Amino acid sequence: MTQFRKGLWRSAIAAAAMAGFVTSAAAQMELKIMAPAAPGGGWDQTARSMQQALTQSGIAKSVQVTNVPGAGGSIGIAQLVNNSKGDGNQLMVMGYVMVGALLTNKSPVTLDQTTPIARLTTEYEAIVVPADSPIKNAKDLAAAIKADPAKVTWAGGSAGGVDHIAAALFAKAAGADPTKINYIPFSGGGEALAAILGGKVTAGISGYGEFESQVKAGKLRLIGLTSATKTPNVDVPSIKEQGVDLEIANWRAVVAPPGISADQKKALTEAMDKLAQSKEWQEILKAKGWENAYISGDAFTKILADEQARTKEVLTAVGLVKS
Amino acid sequence: MTTSPQRRIDVAGLVIALILFVLAGVVWWDMTKLQILSPYDLGPKVMPIIVSGALALLAIGNAIGALRGDLPARDHLDWKPIILILGGLACLIILIAIGGGFMIGTAILFATTSAAFGRRAFLTDLLIGAVIAVFIYLLFAKLLTLSLPAGPLERLF
Amino acid sequence: MEAFASLADGLTVAIQPMNLLFALIGVLLGTAVGVLPGIGPALTVALLLPITFKLDPGGSIIMFAGIYYGGMYGGSTTAILINTPGESASMATALEGNKMAKAGRGGPALATSAIGSFVAGTFATLGLTFLAPYLVDIAVSFGPEDYFALMCVAFVTVSATFGDSPVRGLTSLALGLLLGLVGIDILSGQSRLSFGIPELYDNVEVTTLAVGLFAVGEALYVASRRHVHEEKLEAVRGSLWMTREDWKRSWKPWLRGTAFGFPIGALPAGGAEIPTFLSYSTEKRLTKHPEEFGKGAIEGVAGPEAANNAAAAGTLVPLLTLGLPTSATAAMMLAGFQQYGLNPGPLLFADQPKLVWGLIASLFIANAMLLVLNLPLVGLWVRLLKIPQPWLYAGILVFATMGTIAANPSPVELIMLTVFGVLGFLMRRFDFPIAPVVVGLILGPIAESQLRRALSISLGDPMVLLQSPISATLLIIALLALIAPFVLKGLGRFKAVED
Repeated sequence: MTQFRKGLWRSAIAAAAMAGFVTSAAAQMELKIMAPAAPGGGWDQTARSMQQALTQSGIAKSVQVTNVPGAGGSIGIAQLVNNSKGDGNQLMVMGYVMVGALLTNKSPVTLDQTTPIARLTTEYEAIVVPADSPIKNAKDLAAAIKADPAKVTWAGGSAGGVDHIAAALFAKAAGADPTKINYIPFSGGGEALAAILGGKVTAGISGYGEFESQVKAGKLRLIGLTSATKTPNVDVPSIKEQGVDLEIANWRAVVAPPGISADQKKALTEAMDKLAQSKEWQEILKAKGWENAYISGDAFTKILADEQARTKEVLTAVGLVKS
Repeated sequence: MTTSPQRRIDVAGLVIALILFVLAGVVWWDMTKLQILSPYDLGPKVMPIIVSGALALLAIGNAIGALRGDLPARDHLDWKPIILILGGLACLIILIAIGGGFMIGTAILFATTSAAFGRRAFLTDLLIGAVIAVFIYLLFAKLLTLSLPAGPLERLF
Repeated sequence: MEAFASLADGLTVAIQPMNLLFALIGVLLGTAVGVLPGIGPALTVALLLPITFKLDPGGSIIMFAGIYYGGMYGGSTTAILINTPGESASMATALEGNKMAKAGRGGPALATSAIGSFVAGTFATLGLTFLAPYLVDIAVSFGPEDYFALMCVAFVTVSATFGDSPVRGLTSLALGLLLGLVGIDILSGQSRLSFGIPELYDNVEVTTLAVGLFAVGEALYVASRRHVHEEKLEAVRGSLWMTREDWKRSWKPWLRGTAFGFPIGALPAGGAEIPTFLSYSTEKRLTKHPEEFGKGAIEGVAGPEAANNAAAAGTLVPLLTLGLPTSATAAMMLAGFQQYGLNPGPLLFADQPKLVWGLIASLFIANAMLLVLNLPLVGLWVRLLKIPQPWLYAGILVFATMGTIAANPSPVELIMLTVFGVLGFLMRRFDFPIAPVVVGLILGPIAESQLRRALSISLGDPMVLLQSPISATLLIIALLALIAPFVLKGLGRFKAVED
């Protein structure tokens, strides 16, 4: 009932505004985007970039970005689910990292409680080794890890994050025990990169962007990306093409609160569809080096469910989640 | 250091030692729930064990000090200003938690702190606090686009 | 010298009026924001990134450099004047600086900090210009075992902040280590001492702890003692400027602070805090006025201030030569570079010489600008202390809470600030030193995780700590520093210097 009244009220405002200004009805959208992280991080940058593109292209009248940092997004999603129920103007940026964080943090709130809207961008993981390493390709690395997983040290991001999961999946695909990998988490990309450049570890794993300039300068050797097929701007075939069955990506997406009406969901999805096609968004993607991976609707809902299942399986295997 | 003729047992010092001992126990108890996941990692338990042990030893050290009356002399405590300041902070926290925004809370905190330092012009200080809050809000929200906790007052801007 | 010619080229870029303007805006913004506790230069750069999108790459990166250096200046001003370090690297400055300010020597404290920052910034930027390629090789060869050894050296020097009771000093340190345990353990992904509260998973924020202990704790303590001990703040006693004696006591700490700050700042996991502690304890050991330490010794301001600014320049070594962002601000600057399609890294100097040298040149200019801006402001800043005490402390509390909310708008963070405030009050009342708590929180987690990384890589063999020459040397230094005071004390007994 109140939902209905709210809708009426809103359409009345929209009609009044339409009468006043000659703009599209969608331009009356007043969105709130929550970045469940501190200002400056990846999710925050995504939220603020969306704000920029949505307002400049006139898709939304105003966009307000709020930050709810903490525990890999666990605090943000709890607030979205508990305090924004049924709010058709609220969105939250999230990403693959949150899938794992919610599991390892034993969050009482899950992604199933949110309304998935769309996936926006993706970044593939890259595996690198120091330039003078005897390991030349994914087959060599797989052989080494199969021979003795303890001797292959991996440098990457925090435990239970996408880097860790990718390393475990690589070991599994190589026929080794994923629980036996010698994965060493570092805080911050710079520290892990220094350890790889200094030859302290066997291999490094992170988003390709972290390694790109080092690979181009010949200081690191790229073993491959975790994409299905070779990506155009990279000389090396994907890890999967090299015969190690590993495919994983660190994507970013937006979800809405639970309990929104079908119409509200449709409006939000349409706004995101327009965003993905807008010139402004394309420019931002190019400037930031983000790969477009736009998928909305049921296809995204399915991806989200699949990723949750796979992540849970890996994290249970390495002992971070108790089954 | 002067040695006073009548060294008395310092009760507060013993309480500090007891608190340290309890903390050592809490750290230990928390440690027992951790697991060693990687076969190569020293594990997350070593550091808590060291900290817990150190706290227990320091609890003993502090207790000995308290028994010998080693703690420095303390003045009589005036509780009123402390309650005023902590009350101001509590108001701010509660207002933000229930969505009352930060402006009212900041104004109250300014006024109570000022009162704690002996000023007797609560209303004037409330006003000054409010002006500062508005200024900070405009600076943060408009210039840096940081979202501060908003309540009824903030929505006016 | 090839570098000289390149630098001269860079200067012609940086000195263009528009770029000077960008540097000025950056410096002003950085100072303004650095004054607020909790909002560091990283956050400012992050928030200004979208705005600068429209500027040309040179201009905006020059502006970032200004913000970076400006932020370091702003943080120390509040540390000295109101005992509220704007960021953790200014904490050591607060120890002696605020004591000086309370004794009416705020002017010389601010001046030695500004000039020290300038000297350190200039030397460190020179180091960046000429030594970067060599330094970076050493920096990258630093492994986890070497960092662990460096932390051992830092731990030994903490005793300089202990005050007169080792037991109470160690208790403070242990409390800091305990707080360092709170949150998710980065190596195993498990939460420690979090009691299921998600807000605690992200570890205790250093600025929240420092601001709580220093600013809130101090306000509570002073207020509770008003009836027995009226605090009289004198804005100026004696000279507003540095006397000949102040200069004499400052210049060596400036240089030593730079020598600590620049190389450690250049290490990928070095940070700006550790060199400030090292500098503080070195100055305390070397001073001819040990009796003044803890009561406002100018060496204790000059050294750490030089160290933190030199470290800020050091951070740019791995950023520009390798594309390694080793601090939050550097990470944001990296994002800024990438926004323009530039990839900092081994090829940046070759691909974009104009830009890199323009940036380095603008660092010199930003540094000079800050000196020119800040010295005349000393008189004005000091006058802040003339604000009536009720308003001064009310203002401090408002700033402290605002900074905390702006970085993390959650009531839990404010509750933590309040709890730390009460802790700071109790510690003052029972004469426990404050600084070791913050030191423990910073060093504890680094020491733990680096040791565990070293042992994971060596598959549990502890000999790795002695096999690395860097680590072995540092451990010997730590051991010597640990024993030396006892030996000296023994010698001192003969001379009857000790009480």
